[in-house]
Order: sequence, then C-alpha cells, then structure tokens
Amino acid sequence: MKQERWSVVEVSVINTVDTSHEDMIHDAQMDYYGTRLATCSSDRTVKIFDVRNGGQILVADLRGHEGPVWQVAWAHPMFGNILASCSYDRKVIIWKEENGSWDKMYEYTGHESSVNSVCWGPYDFGLILACGSSDGAISLLTFTGDQQWDVKKISNAHTIGCNAVSWAPAVVPGSLIDQPSGQKPNYVKRFVSGGCDNLVKLWKEEDGQWKEDQKLEAHSDWVRDVGWAPSIGLPTSTIASCSQDGRVFIWTCDDPAGNTWTAKLLHKFNDVVWHVSWSITGNILAVSGGDNKVTLWKESMDGQWACISDVSKGQGAVSTITDTQQSEQ
Amino acid sequence: MAARWSSENVVVEFRDAQATAMSVDCLGSHAVLSGRRFLYMVNLEAPSEAPRKIGRQSKWDVGTVQWNPHRAESHMFAASSNQRVDLYSWRDGCGEVHTSLQGHTRVISDLDWSWFEPEFLVTSSVDTYIYIWDTRDTRKPTVALSAVAGASQVKWNRKNQNLLASSHDGDVRIWDKRKPNTAAEYVAAHLSKIHGLDWHPDNEFILATSSQDNSVRFWDFRQPRKYLNILSCQVPVWKARYTPFSNGLVTVMVPQLRRENSLLLWSTLDLNSPVHAFVGHDDVVLEFQWRPQKEGSKDYQLVTWSRDQTLRIWRVDPQLQKLCVSDVVEDLMDGMSLTAETEKSLSSQEPDSHHSIGPAAENLQDDSGGRQDSAVGSGVPQTLQQEFSLVNLQIRNVNVEMDAVNRSCMVSAHFGSHQVHLVVKFPAQYPNNAAPTFQFVSPTTIPSSMKTKIQKILTDTSLQKVKRNQNCLEPCVRQLVSCLESDMTQEDGPPSGPFVLSNPVTPALPAFPRVTNTYGSYQDANIPFPRTSGARFCGTGCLVYFTRPITMHRSAPPTEPTPRSLSALSAYHSGVLTPMKMRSESQSTLRLYSGSPTRSDKDTVSISSFYYKERKSRRFKTKREGTDYGNRPIKLAGKVIIQEISCLLPVHKSLGESYILNMNDIQETCQKNQAAALTVGRRDVAKVWALASAATNQDLSPDSDPDTETPWARHPFGRHLLETLLDHYSHMSDVQTLAMLCSVFRAQAPPPDCYPLYAHHPSRPAVFPPHHSRYPSYTSSSVTSGSCSSTSDSITATTWNTGRDSEHANPWGEPSPDDYRYGNQGYTDPREREREQHDMNKRLLDPTNMLQFDDFKKCYGEILYRWGLRDKRADVLKFASCPPEPHKGIEFGVYCCHCRSQARGTQCAVCKRLTFQCAVCHVAVRGSSNFCLSCGHGGHTSHMMDWFRRQDECPAGCGCHCLLQSTF
Repeated sequence: MKQERWSVVEVSVINTVDTSHEDMIHDAQMDYYGTRLATCSSDRTVKIFDVRNGGQILVADLRGHEGPVWQVAWAHPMFGNILASCSYDRKVIIWKEENGSWDKMYEYTGHESSVNSVCWGPYDFGLILACGSSDGAISLLTFTGDQQWDVKKISNAHTIGCNAVSWAPAVVPGSLIDQPSGQKPNYVKRFVSGGCDNLVKLWKEEDGQWKEDQKLEAHSDWVRDVGWAPSIGLPTSTIASCSQDGRVFIWTCDDPAGNTWTAKLLHKFNDVVWHVSWSITGNILAVSGGDNKVTLWKESMDGQWACISDVSKGQGAVSTITDTQQSEQ
Repeated sequence: MAARWSSENVVVEFRDAQATAMSVDCLGSHAVLSGRRFLYMVNLEAPSEAPRKIGRQSKWDVGTVQWNPHRAESHMFAASSNQRVDLYSWRDGCGEVHTSLQGHTRVISDLDWSWFEPEFLVTSSVDTYIYIWDTRDTRKPTVALSAVAGASQVKWNRKNQNLLASSHDGDVRIWDKRKPNTAAEYVAAHLSKIHGLDWHPDNEFILATSSQDNSVRFWDFRQPRKYLNILSCQVPVWKARYTPFSNGLVTVMVPQLRRENSLLLWSTLDLNSPVHAFVGHDDVVLEFQWRPQKEGSKDYQLVTWSRDQTLRIWRVDPQLQKLCVSDVVEDLMDGMSLTAETEKSLSSQEPDSHHSIGPAAENLQDDSGGRQDSAVGSGVPQTLQQEFSLVNLQIRNVNVEMDAVNRSCMVSAHFGSHQVHLVVKFPAQYPNNAAPTFQFVSPTTIPSSMKTKIQKILTDTSLQKVKRNQNCLEPCVRQLVSCLESDMTQEDGPPSGPFVLSNPVTPALPAFPRVTNTYGSYQDANIPFPRTSGARFCGTGCLVYFTRPITMHRSAPPTEPTPRSLSALSAYHSGVLTPMKMRSESQSTLRLYSGSPTRSDKDTVSISSFYYKERKSRRFKTKREGTDYGNRPIKLAGKVIIQEISCLLPVHKSLGESYILNMNDIQETCQKNQAAALTVGRRDVAKVWALASAATNQDLSPDSDPDTETPWARHPFGRHLLETLLDHYSHMSDVQTLAMLCSVFRAQAPPPDCYPLYAHHPSRPAVFPPHHSRYPSYTSSSVTSGSCSSTSDSITATTWNTGRDSEHANPWGEPSPDDYRYGNQGYTDPREREREQHDMNKRLLDPTNMLQFDDFKKCYGEILYRWGLRDKRADVLKFASCPPEPHKGIEFGVYCCHCRSQARGTQCAVCKRLTFQCAVCHVAVRGSSNFCLSCGHGGHTSHMMDWFRRQDECPAGCGCHCLLQSTF
C-alpha cells in the first residue's frame, strides 16, 4: 500500500550570521515568526538581529548580565517582543522592546547559583517563565500585570542542580472527550526538568501549587537537556532527554492520566549531549553535543527512530537523507 | 662545589617511550615508565641498558603507576588506565598483568598502595567514588567512599593505617576507612584546584597541598580552618612532596607559557626561597620519586621523568640535605653564601646542560630569558623580571619592549592607520598593591577622548590585579588591544562583506570586565559545562545552529568526553595549561578532574579556555590562509547558521497558502486542493484529495430518512477509510493534511446544532466510561459490530423495530456523550431519537473524536499563524467546534453551598453533598435554573416562577428581597 522512498534532500542554508560576540556563543534562538535571532555569549551580552531576507541587522546589544549568558527564550508575540535570558551571574533578565528600544522589563535575582535554563510556558497560561538553576531550585515567574511578577519557587527540585526546563504543550489532560466544548478548556500546567541527580522530573500545578508528578530514571549521569515535544493534537505525550552520559532517551506516555512513561534509547553518543530540540510538528528531533555536531532524528511509521542526517557543523551545505513521505495508496 | 650543584648524575633518554607516568620500586632497583603501547622497565643500577618492555593493549594512557611499597610484594605494581586498574607482577625480567580491578565508572585520577597492608590499594576517580581494594578479592572494592565530588588525588596516611586523604578541587577530605559513610574531616584548603597532596612522612596529622592558586599549604587536619604554613609561588604548583630526609620539600611548578621545568627543593623551615633547583629537563617534569637509600650510602637519589623523554637521576648528598635542616645563616657561616652558590651553580651548569639556559637578568627582553634565576635567586623574588620573562604577548599588531632594570616597558600597537605608544612604569613595590602607571607618548595618533578611556580601563584593570598582588602587564595589554579593536571597527564603519551592521556596535565592555562578586566555591562544581554548540528548531521551518569556530577543535582526543562541570575550567586558570594538559598534547589523554568544587577565577577563565589550544592552531592557520578574518586576532564566537529545513517537515507553507476551504462547494475544494498537493510533489496527499472528492460526491450524500438506505459513512470506504487515512497521517505528524481532511468532512456534514446545547450541561466526567479517545487505538474498533449493543436505556430500545437495530445502535459498542445527552433529556418520541442517531451515523467523521479533530485544526491554525496566513487560519478554525478564543464574558460558576469549593455537576467533589439545591423542592438543580444574584438562593425555574408570582422574599427564608435585588 505504501512505498517509502529514500532520497537525498538538500537542506539549504538561508543565512549565516556573524554575531561579533567576543567569546563563545551558548545559545541562539529565533522568535515565533522566524524574523529575529537572539544570541547569547560568554562575553556577557545578548544580541538581537533582524535576519529577514537573509540579512543581518543588529537590533540590540543587551548588556546587563555580569557573567556568561547561558540561554535565551522568546515569549509568544501576543505579549509583545519579550526575551528572557539567564546567566552564570545568578540572574534572569526579562527584556522587552518598547517603541523600538530594548530595556529590562524585570530582573529576577532569586537564585543562589548559576541559572542554566529558561523556558516560556504556552501562551494559554499567560506570561509564565520557568527557570532552572544550579542551586537545585526551579522558579516560576508569572506576569500579573502592572509590572508585577509573581514568583513561585520549587526548592530542591533537583539535588545538586537543575540543568534544563521545558514546558508541556497546553493540552487537556486525560480524555480529550470529557471536556465539554464551548467552555474554556481546563488546561493543566505541566513542565519537565532535568538535573544533576540524573533524573528527569515532571511537574504539575495543582490548586496553585507545583507538585512533582513523575520521576523518570534512565540516565547514568547529569541530564543536560529536556524537551517536551509540541503536540499536534494526538493524545501521546513525548519528551526527549539527553545527558552527560551521551544517551538520548525518548519518553512517551499514552496514558491519559500521564502516569506511565516508557523510555526508548534513541542513541548513545560518544560525548556529552547537551541539547535536544523538536521540530514544530514534533516528529524530528535535533540533537547536538560536545562533539560540535548536529544530528536529526525522525520517527518512522513503525515507531523506530532513525538518523536522517549527519550534519557536520561548520560546513555549509548539508545533505540529508530522508524518507520523502511519498507514499502511494 | 660545582659538582654538588649540578647534582644530576644520570640522564637517559627513552625517545619512543611516550610515557605518561613513572614509578620507582621500593628496592630502588627498577623504575617503570608507562607509555601507551609498552611499559618500560628501567634498571636503575644500569639505566642506560635497553629497558625491558611489557606490551599493553589499550587506547588509554596510563594515568598513574605505582609499585607496591612492601618488600614482600615488591614485584607488584598497579597501573590505572581509564576506569580500570591493572595489577602487574614483574619477576625475572618478565612482567604480566596479574589481575584487574574494575569498578569505577569514569576515569581513575589517582591510586595509592597502603603503607601498612600490602594487599590494600586505594583508587580515586572522577566518578566521585574512592574505592579501597583488597587485591586478594578483586571482584569489588572492600570499601567505597562516596565523596559526591570527583577526586583528583588520594593518599594513605603514612603513620595511621586507617586514615587517608583525598582532594576534591579546592578541598581536602580526610577519611577513616572504618567509617566510610562520611569524611572524618573536611579542609577547605585552597581557592583553586589542588593538584598534589602529600602526607608528612613522620607526622600523622600533617599534610601538604599544592594548588592552582600558586601556593603550597601545610595543614594539621585537626585544625582545618587555618593552614600551618604557606609557600607562595608565582605560578601554580603541580606537586609538592616531602623529602625522605627531614624538613625538605620538592615542588614542581605548573609551567607558565615560558617553561619552568626545574624542580625546586625547599626547606620547610624557611619557605622564603628554595634551597636548590634541579635544572636540566627540557620539558615538563611529569613525575618525580625518591629512590630508597642504599645501605651505607648517605646520598638520596631523586628520579625524575619528563616530557622531554629523559629519565634523570639526581643525587642529593648530605650537604644538600643539610640545607633543609639547618637554616641559611648557618650555611652562610660555613662560607657557603647561598646567592653566590646560586650564581656559581648556574654558570657552572650552562656548558653541560642540554638546553639553552637563559643568560642572566640583564637580557630579560630576550625571548629565551632566564627562567630559574629568579626562583633560585636572592631571597626576594624579582617579580617584575619574572613577570617579564613569563608574560605571553604574542598578540597581533602589538610589540612590547621590556626593560626590567628601569622597571618599565614600552607597548606599541598598530591598528589600521592608528598607532599607540604607551609607556608603563612599574613602582618598586609592584605588584604588591602598587599599580603601574600608563602614559601615552608620541607618535600616538588616537584621539584624546579615546586616550582617556583607555587610560581608565588600564588603570582599573591593573588595580584589580595588584590588589591581589598579581601581575597585570598581560591583562592590561590585552585590554588595550580589545579596546582599540572595538573602536577601530566602529570607526571603520560596517565591515566589508555581505552582512551589514546597521547599528554601530556599542562601545565594547572591557573585554574581560571584572566581577567583584565572589561566587561560592561550592556550587561552581554543580554548574554544567556550557554548551558551545547546538541546534534548535525555530519558527516553522528553520534550524538555527551555532558552532564553535571552524578552526577551533578541542585539543582533547574525541574519546575523552567534554567535562560535565564548569569547575573543570579551573584547570585553565589564567589560560595556563596544566601539565596534564601538556601531556594531552603529546597524544595522550586529556585528563580533567571535573565534578568537584572549585572557585575558579572568572576574571581570567572563559569557556573558550577549554579550547585554548585551538586558538593557537587557529592563529597559525589564519596566518597561512591569511585572508578571511581581517585583523581580528582571535575569534572565539562561531557563526550562527540558519537552515531552511521545511523540506523535512510534513507540512508545507505553499500548501497552506493554496489550500482552500469552500463550504459551498466541497467538490471544487477537493479538486483544487488536489492540484495544489501535486504542485508541491505530495502525490500521496493528492490521491487523498481525490478520495475525499469521491467521498463527498453528491451521489453519496445521505438520505435524511433513516429507513431508506445505509449511509455511506457506514460503508468500508466511508468512515473506516477516513479513519485509516487519519491514522496514517497521524503517524506522519502531518497535521496539515489531518486538519484539512477534518475540516472538509466537517463541512460536508455540518452537525446539528447540538454542541452549544450540550455545553449548557455541566459535564459529568466521573460518570463517563472510558472512551476511545486515543487516536492510534481507535481504529481497532471496527464497524463489524452488527448486533444490537445499545447501552442506552432499555425502555426506549425495546420499542425499536429490531430489524433496524444494526443500523441504529451505536456501532462502537460504547456510548457517545450525545447518548447521555439524549438519555438525560429523555426523548419521548423514539423516532426523534432515531433521527438523531441517524445524523450521527451518516457523518463520515466519527463524532466521538470530534474534540481531537478540533485539536488538529487548532494546531494547524497555530502553524498557519506563524506563517502569517491569518485568513487561512480563520478558515480552518471556522470548522472547529470549540471557539478558539476562550470565553471572556460573565460566566456563572457553581460553588458548593456547603463547603464553598467550586463544583462541577450536581454533587460537590469535596463534601459529596448536592451543590445547588432548589430552595422550593430541595432537589438538586440541573438544567434550567434561576437564582438570586444577591443571596445566591434559587432553584428550578418553574418553581421560582411559581414562588415569586406570589411572594417577593426569598423562598429559603433568608429575608432577601430577591425580586428587588436582582433579576427574577
């Protein structure tokens, strides 16, 4: 019924941005529409570039951190142009563009060690930011209007330290049918975190309190990044986690209650894997690590994960072998 | 006299050994050199004889090797290799692996044989465990000490058989092996990584630690707060070990960029200056050990192994030993002036040493300036000279002329058309809290505002350094360069090339601005080693990745993982490579002891330090290529590359643009969409649209009368086919096709206006049996259920004509929410119910999964929004049954009248009582109701109407005048 054909697809480089950072770059992220690029570096700055039409125009050079900046995160544009950054200096800074100029909107200094990860929640929940720190805590900053931010802190979320946070997409837990239409869907706030206790932990808000929902064990060393896959409306939840031990696991849960998670080893790399990222449809995973390489992984129709690329970084052209999805009925 | 000073009496070269470690056995007869391919057994009695070899097969270098110190077991030695320790036995000129100890999960950093029990060996590892092994039972360690932090050194106490010490970055822990749960004592010894640890040979409580922070400290671990004594060096100290004779200490420094390859002998009684320097090695000294004293001999012998591939044996005669015992004055009285001695020694050594020793202090500008003269020089170290000789100023466009005699130097820099000439003068106390002065001299061509700025930056930088009694020349020069560079770039306008920076770069921060915060040493170890490359999917079809510069490769071999903790960077303090790192350059493994706390000085250490070597090689490369990078000397930030990867995704923007949804002409919609799918090469989707077109044909449109025929939806090519298609595209994550199909088929059979009705009812999730809500699984429910499986209430079912049961009963064997709705409302006319059922059955999309289909549409709508196709998004969302925007108007919620918690349904989930009772009939209210906004009482609309027709006070008796207060 279906024929899968393998062919080589050329993935084209549409832009190469020379950031002029004075030290190593630790994160780069584009905004919702893909028009702006934010980068952060050990030189303590965050830079924003307009990258439309293959150009590169420096829009802002944000200075305010006193240490290397580890990660940036764009908020949903319905809240305006907002960027969060976190740094070794223990600070989280939320930057906002007003009338074309970028300024600090809020500075959070509630952590006692380096803040390693920031992630904005789904827009359905309003402006809410999760921050994971090496002091072991996770902070949740919620904008309550009038320049006020409500702070909730999960202390000792990960012993030794929290390295990554990632929000679950806003979907209704449990059966999709129970939800009566016409009412505001009763979304539950959930996110996943990874830490130096080698654990992946799932968190859930219940009655305004954050509770540990699940604890996923599989890694044998620090978990460096976690990524909750975006939902396309299917009831399966998927999480990717990667670790210092070189392993990448894909966690899935079909259980509407979200209690039964099964792990599948994607691959064991030779060096630390420190970043995983899902494509918008949640079917391709980009994996990157200490070996300076990026690989793309895709789940085939039978549920197996296969590497569809081996992108050696620093080389311009990338050819990707992929299942071209051409099937004939 | 001269002979005494050039006490090196044996030099043997082993060119091919590539040994990383060395050990001398307890009899003093053999030294083992461990290379990657062979272990070389050197007969110390006749060292120039060809060594015997023991082959080894491992891709790992030997980390540490040590002979068993007990005479009875003197043929045994242990060698660590990555996570394993091999025990060798050496008899009669032959050696073999006796057994192996395996237990550590990461690289072993150190091992030590017990001084008391010949079978006991302790190993430490980066995996945070310290294992004590009984070599008679090698399956597992007998004692495991868990340190949380990785250990770099472990040493048994020489006097107490139960005690041992381990170092964890800047801290020392003392353990009692009988109490393995926790460390017996904890000494926060240094602010930076401890490279070496040594117990006092005679005192149970005293140990010496050598550290990256340029000091050796002596501790009585019973007083962990304060060190007994400190030996301050100008450079990080690699190892400091007590001598077998009294009061002596030998140190090896971490070589600065200019090499510092001599071993220094100190008297622990007078730490102001070393008593002797063992000069001779051309490269880093990797290991030194004392050869046991031969009977009848008063001499000691120091055996050293260096990366210059030579083994040297140095004789330490009683007079030299005596220097450590007696104080200098005594020696002076003996007519052996130390300074005179030193000079003499140096000059006497020059002719016969194998390398070019720096001439004298006068020639300090010379690149090969003397290195050890300051070390062995007069009591006061000539720190400026030392700094001049050690400073690394290989910076592009910059020339520095140093004049140690006049305590000044001239820095000349050329940037484009500009020249800068700067005289730096060093006061006499420098660097002890006395900063140098900076003065611009002609022909400096930069504007005066710039001069002022640079002046300020330089002064700040130098003050920061000298406050801590540190040298500041190199940091200042680098500051100057970065400052000039950023300003010149700004002035020159946008750099040539395809990219235009419209905004000028704001004036650079001082390139290495100082942070005055002192970060807790403890927590740095927990901070993960930062990402230096990565990829992230962004927007809808982009992959953004950032990399290290192409020419920057890790010096570590790929087999060695990147350290996990940021504290590993302390090894790169001040950009100086440790001997370990130097070893790694000689094709051996990079050993980084990560995972233990350090207080790394952020002022000078950057993440890029880890890639230090690449910077060098990079510089070399650009010189060779000489083109692309202009005059940027070192570029640490790679480029950010944005790739278009939408061809890998199952959704297509062009399809999003060309797809149409015309409710009035479904046929046309399908045909146009089919054509659109073909243009992007999605032949499979084109076929699907052809099928959709066929399925929505007017010929197949269901009859409104349930009795005429089976609706097309019940045909295998109807609902079943559609489900199979949806299932397929779900697996493919093709939300575009899913949402479009759902929309089209929704449009084809607009549902009766049941959802808003349904929405008025509080849902009763607890009552609902589980549904087939999960998409992939619901295909299992097939259409084959031909028998009557009605679960709805039996009274109405019995009135049905049994001949139509198979058509009208719920084919899924499970009730849909609608069944409940109908059940609840209690249809009196079975024909009406039948028609509703028929409406459900004739729809091609399974109504039970409607909410899931809505989710597809919402997700696709989100993607369309990102693509900027807002009209198309609106088109799709028209077909979603849920309003996409949450309701923002007034909403009446039900709060339980007993416990005030929000309730859904008629029963409160918290107190289990009825949430809303009718004030008249006291029955739970469901359906049409009315209540007073003021007092909150109310009930069934009909009851309320009856009551208030006659009364104007609340039926609950609360006294509220409901009619006046509210809307009744």
